Amino acid sequence: MIWIRTVAGAVLTLAALIVGGCAPTEAPDPRAGLPPAPWISRAIPEARGEIKVLPDGKREAVRYKGWTKADFGKFRTYAYDDTRPEPRPGKAPMPAIAGDPKKGRSLFLARAKGPCTGCHLIQGADVWPAGNVGPDLSTFGDRGLPDDYVFNQIYDPRHVFPNTTMPPWGTGGVLAPDEIVHLVAFLKTLKGPAPPEKDRERDPNTRPKPPGFGDNLDPTNNPAVGRAEAAEALWAKKGPAGAKACADCHAGGPAKAMKGAATRYPKYVTQYRRVMSIEDLLTVHAPETTGMHMLAQSAENLDMTMLVKMASNGMPVAVDLSTPEHRAAFERGQANFNKRVGQRNHACADCHTPGSGRGADRFLGGRLLGNVENGLTRHFPTWRTSQAQVWDMRKRMQWCLTPLGMNMLPADAVEYAELELYLTSFDKGKPISVPGIRH
Amino acid sequence: MAEIGRVRIRIPSSIRQGDIVKVRVLVIHPMEIVERKDGKPVDKNYRFINRVLVTYLGNEIAQFETTQSLSENPFFSFAFKATEPGALKVTFLDTHGGKYEGTADIKFS
Repeated sequence: MIWIRTVAGAVLTLAALIVGGCAPTEAPDPRAGLPPAPWISRAIPEARGEIKVLPDGKREAVRYKGWTKADFGKFRTYAYDDTRPEPRPGKAPMPAIAGDPKKGRSLFLARAKGPCTGCHLIQGADVWPAGNVGPDLSTFGDRGLPDDYVFNQIYDPRHVFPNTTMPPWGTGGVLAPDEIVHLVAFLKTLKGPAPPEKDRERDPNTRPKPPGFGDNLDPTNNPAVGRAEAAEALWAKKGPAGAKACADCHAGGPAKAMKGAATRYPKYVTQYRRVMSIEDLLTVHAPETTGMHMLAQSAENLDMTMLVKMASNGMPVAVDLSTPEHRAAFERGQANFNKRVGQRNHACADCHTPGSGRGADRFLGGRLLGNVENGLTRHFPTWRTSQAQVWDMRKRMQWCLTPLGMNMLPADAVEYAELELYLTSFDKGKPISVPGIRH
Repeated sequence: MAEIGRVRIRIPSSIRQGDIVKVRVLVIHPMEIVERKDGKPVDKNYRFINRVLVTYLGNEIAQFETTQSLSENPFFSFAFKATEPGALKVTFLDTHGGKYEGTADIKFS
């Protein structure tokens, strides 16, 4: 026995040597903290990211009410088992048809096709709201660029700018080659000088930043506060298993028993052998202890999460990033933050990091993009005034990439949890304020 | 929604005598709406807040009559002149005989 063990140990050491390369002694395990078996989602059906095959063979995604049902299965995702490489820059010959600038303009503004105005400003009072993630194209025609250069630039800009945030419209299949010809014809008509701006809010460079929605902890201002307080009844409710309630083990009421708990999440939970947020933990911890189901994205789960997090309001986020599990999870989250995914071939970093050609603190259409360095997570779950719903970080992540053509993962997926850990690392030391209120 | 009838009153943190004070009041209430079939309500016994009374220093200063067209957890905002320190009481009455009260202490700084 001893001999076998020794041999196995030797083999492992050798493997570590190979993986670790020139630093063999303290080679960190890149898989540390990952659950040993595939995680079984405990989310409500519309939050599981499932794909349904219809009787006619068509594939339809199961998503939340009102979300697109399109299947983006051919584009890569954040899933750790999705090892497909980034699609290579595509090229197509420019069709020999006459471009129609009028068609091009309507394509430039078409929501279903981009829209180009989400990032680029052009002239015209009907172009509202335009964004400023990409360059201002108001006088693009004056540059006199050749047609096929502009065509290729739209078809797949990576030929010219390998690290651009602009999506490969042709390679991804959002725009057909004929449509790009119309866009090229339209762009050539954009001549200067641009007339003086009448509406200061039309131009994203002069548009004032949104002022917010006031005190997020005022129940007369934020409807989510009332919902969170409603979870106090759930806290005291006896579940079917052993007639136990949250209150039976966590004594002293949620405000006392849960004080500071939320500052440590997302964290690696040894019992479940993965990184979890409070939402994730409730999906397994509540049924195991009380027998009550708290599926991810269910009202019970969101309300209870808010109640638990409210007990840490005002306290600084203190996520642990020191253990090997946390360290590896942080690195995987960071890798996904920078991984280009989906039909638009976007990474989170494209829109949420600052810098030239990046989106943070700029307008995407009328929406101001968040800056990851300011911390994006400490007000979640948050009331969304535009949806009249409470959204947690996961639904926000699922939503973020759905219009950008990535099939969403289950709400309680490990990939999201570790991405959330990476995002939360920027909130470290800043006070929690839940529930938030945002557009 | 748990805890029907919890009344929350928000007043400015500092009030001076004679100020016009803006008050925000929220009550937790389902405000059941009328369901209609063929143009007729299917059941008339809906539970919603139909009267709101505001008293200040024991005197009634405002009365609101409300209908079920308000959202759940309705929120009211009104202004009054703070003449003396004392209690501002808001009472919500619903169609099922429910009576929900909230009080704010008006103090001058």
